[in-house]
Amino acid sequence: MYLSTIIEAVSAWAAQEPKIYALAIGLIGAAIISAVINIGAMAVVWLERKFLGDIQARFGPNRVGSRWGLLQLGADAIKLFTKEDSIPRGADKPVYVWAPIIASITTMLVAAAIPFGALRIDGKDYPLVVANMDISAFYVEAALSIMTIAVFMAGFSSNNKYSMLGAFRGIARMIAYEVPMGVCVIAVALMAHSLNLVEIVESQTLWYAFAQPLGFIVFTIALVTDLGRIPFDQSEAEEEIIAGYTTEYGGIRWGLLYFQEYINMLLGSILLVLLFLGGWKGPSIPLITVLSPMVWFLMKVLIVLIFLIWVRGSLVRFRIDQVTDLGWKWMLPLSLVNLAWAAFVGLYFA
Amino acid sequence: MLSAIQSAFPGSVLESRVESDRRLWITVDPKKLVEITQFLRDKKDFDHYSGAAGVDRINENLFEVVEILTSHGAHQVVVMMKVRVPRDKPSVRSLTGLYWNANWYEREIWEMYGINFEGHPELYPLLLPDELVGYWPWRKDFKGYPDTTTGERAIEQVGPDGYTEFKIMPHPEMIKAGVVPERPKYPTFREREEAEIKSDSEMIMHMGPQHAIVPGPFLLDLLIEGERVKKAFLDVGYIHKGIEKIMENRTYLQGIVYTDRMCYLASITNNEAYCGAVERLLNITPPERAQYIRVILAELSRIQSHLLGTGEFLTLLGAATYSPFQYMIIDREDLVYLMESITGARITHTFVRFGGVRNDLPDGFADKARPILKRMRERTEEYMDLLHSDPIYTRRMRGIGVLSPGDARRLGVSGPPLRASDTPYDMRREDPILVYPDLDFKVVTRKAGDAEARVEVRLEEILESIHIIEQCLDQIPEGPIQEKLPKKIKPEPGEAYYRVEDPRGEMGFYVISDGSEKPYRVKVRGPVYAYMQALPPLLEGAYVADVVAIAGSMDACTSEVDR
Repeated sequence: MYLSTIIEAVSAWAAQEPKIYALAIGLIGAAIISAVINIGAMAVVWLERKFLGDIQARFGPNRVGSRWGLLQLGADAIKLFTKEDSIPRGADKPVYVWAPIIASITTMLVAAAIPFGALRIDGKDYPLVVANMDISAFYVEAALSIMTIAVFMAGFSSNNKYSMLGAFRGIARMIAYEVPMGVCVIAVALMAHSLNLVEIVESQTLWYAFAQPLGFIVFTIALVTDLGRIPFDQSEAEEEIIAGYTTEYGGIRWGLLYFQEYINMLLGSILLVLLFLGGWKGPSIPLITVLSPMVWFLMKVLIVLIFLIWVRGSLVRFRIDQVTDLGWKWMLPLSLVNLAWAAFVGLYFA
Repeated sequence: MLSAIQSAFPGSVLESRVESDRRLWITVDPKKLVEITQFLRDKKDFDHYSGAAGVDRINENLFEVVEILTSHGAHQVVVMMKVRVPRDKPSVRSLTGLYWNANWYEREIWEMYGINFEGHPELYPLLLPDELVGYWPWRKDFKGYPDTTTGERAIEQVGPDGYTEFKIMPHPEMIKAGVVPERPKYPTFREREEAEIKSDSEMIMHMGPQHAIVPGPFLLDLLIEGERVKKAFLDVGYIHKGIEKIMENRTYLQGIVYTDRMCYLASITNNEAYCGAVERLLNITPPERAQYIRVILAELSRIQSHLLGTGEFLTLLGAATYSPFQYMIIDREDLVYLMESITGARITHTFVRFGGVRNDLPDGFADKARPILKRMRERTEEYMDLLHSDPIYTRRMRGIGVLSPGDARRLGVSGPPLRASDTPYDMRREDPILVYPDLDFKVVTRKAGDAEARVEVRLEEILESIHIIEQCLDQIPEGPIQEKLPKKIKPEPGEAYYRVEDPRGEMGFYVISDGSEKPYRVKVRGPVYAYMQALPPLLEGAYVADVVAIAGSMDACTSEVDR
């Protein structure tokens, strides 16, 4: 096949000029990734509005861009870009300005190491990942938790009581759930004998959701918490503290904070699929053999996303003390139990 | 009862009138007011302070304060106890020492009439803004707000932290007359912060006047330490409309329209309470068919109010995305449609008339209503199931904002919150009106007294209301719907107090007639006024997140407080 010839030629060139190759791949990858995650997140926002509308027996966006409201998000973006950019008096200006930027950078950092599917060429899966590093699972975990800092910066610099409470809640919640989440990732790595996300996917002859169901449940709950979605959206509970840490933000600054939540939601779903649901693995589909891993991958991500939206439409919010309670007293012990189980199975059966 | 008072306090009862076995009107000596009230409370089970009204008897150069006392189920007598004081330097002894909830009623009378209450702990403006105190706007000789210069007198002051405040200085003439300087001022936010904040970890957080939790503008200041509420302060009066005063300047019939506007969720019951009071003045009773129609509408109104109240409460727990709210709104739409088919309006009905109703039921109403009610019953049972089986919901709501039966009575709340605290106090039983005595229904109560119980009571009351409407549809007789009335409604001089069970609790109208076309005084005793007053003590020690749940579970309606 000519595709494999191209790949061979490129790899040969890469061996000759490793530095230029790395730079080129980095730049092209960055461009592609920014496009993919932004468009992907826009799709997620649209999906949430539509699906949530269905859950609540209303239409959702149906005016801008045909009767499916496809261009609603574009209209929203134009609105946010053209709004007045105001910074509240009394705000800590540099911190206030940098908080949304750091939040966006975080999501980009995470996206750099996450495989966005794979192409199947001659029976071999070529993952689509920019930075295929050895410790990518660990790196993604670490980069995701930088979000905590962005949230605290936003809340602290706004000089607003609601923002402050929101930031406190965000920190308390994220600390309580980063730990069990990390332990779950370690358990997966133990079974896969690798911290590389690509290798983790490739080692899943049996999905880890079945191999370690407890870990899967804990990780899913921790993920919802990390994304700050109902029932764990205490940091921006509208009914209590207006909009939490985003209260004083407006215009495109708020837009960035809002949008990165959806990018995070997309990345989180992809992470869940990669770690526990077999990634892009699946039987080849005739006629589109090359794209079949992509089809499986997107289908799984879509199912996870719909699950997340469904949860939002049908649950009420926890109180913050109940959240930390659940995190430290239940999620952490359960994740440790799961770790022991993974170690046992991984050492003796895998 | 009357003789008991007379024998205990010889010479103190100046006038008395026994209207029926449920109403006792007495005028007492102002010097003996507190003693007689204490006697009634301790010896005669009058443990419910229902409200107080100020009346300006300008022709007799007197002020009258009417205290409405009743009991939580021990007996059904309502004592309307009046004290009369001269117009110059009016002063009455405060009842706040006996009844905790006398506080707000006395403050309202003070700011509207200028009647001083001796021994009142915090006699500062409740409903009026600071600069209006001293004009005493509800006095009969009040000629309107004479001062149009407040905007010009406003002084811009930049505070130490860079924020601009506007202060309106009192009018020079009023300072000269000596009215203004004596008046107590409502503490500003800064003063409150200085007075209350004890340590670095505490702060005062506003909830309102524009906030997602509030059903209308009111201000809830929370003194919080971390996530715990240490103390709560409440300020109402942002949208005070002066409906009671407006009704004094309208004919009896025109007044009905204003009762609608007090709370649009309870407009039928407000109509009913006002019309009932005027009917007692006119001494007429509506024909039986009209009574049935009124009951049907009152119960439909109760169902739709409870549905909206519960739905809104649920959105407070889980953002606007918590779906049952939308389904409750869809269900409510059917009921609003039913009501519209009778009255022609969706929320402001103005339907009840003195001695009858405006329209008859439309043809085929029963056939249209029965399937809707049947579906409504199924849906309500589903909601109850849903809330009962939701672990997060029960974790959030159980044991939150607990009102013990004793506390609930002391704070003066009525309606579902009181019944959720194990007190079967329902006006339809206590003070039966219309055809309620002929109908079979049970008063829903719960033991727990927490937020969950209050919502359960509401949902179960929907089932009871459906049961009542179905009985009415079966029993409703043919006949006229309107009693004959004179062309001009001019009741004989007199007064009447009439209570109905609002969706939110005890709704009373106290109407005084002086024989003219317009009522001399209309006093509204609304249930939400009492809820609001009871809110701050209920919030102490709660989490910030629970403030929302507790306030929401009371199903308050600011519009009625600021009537």
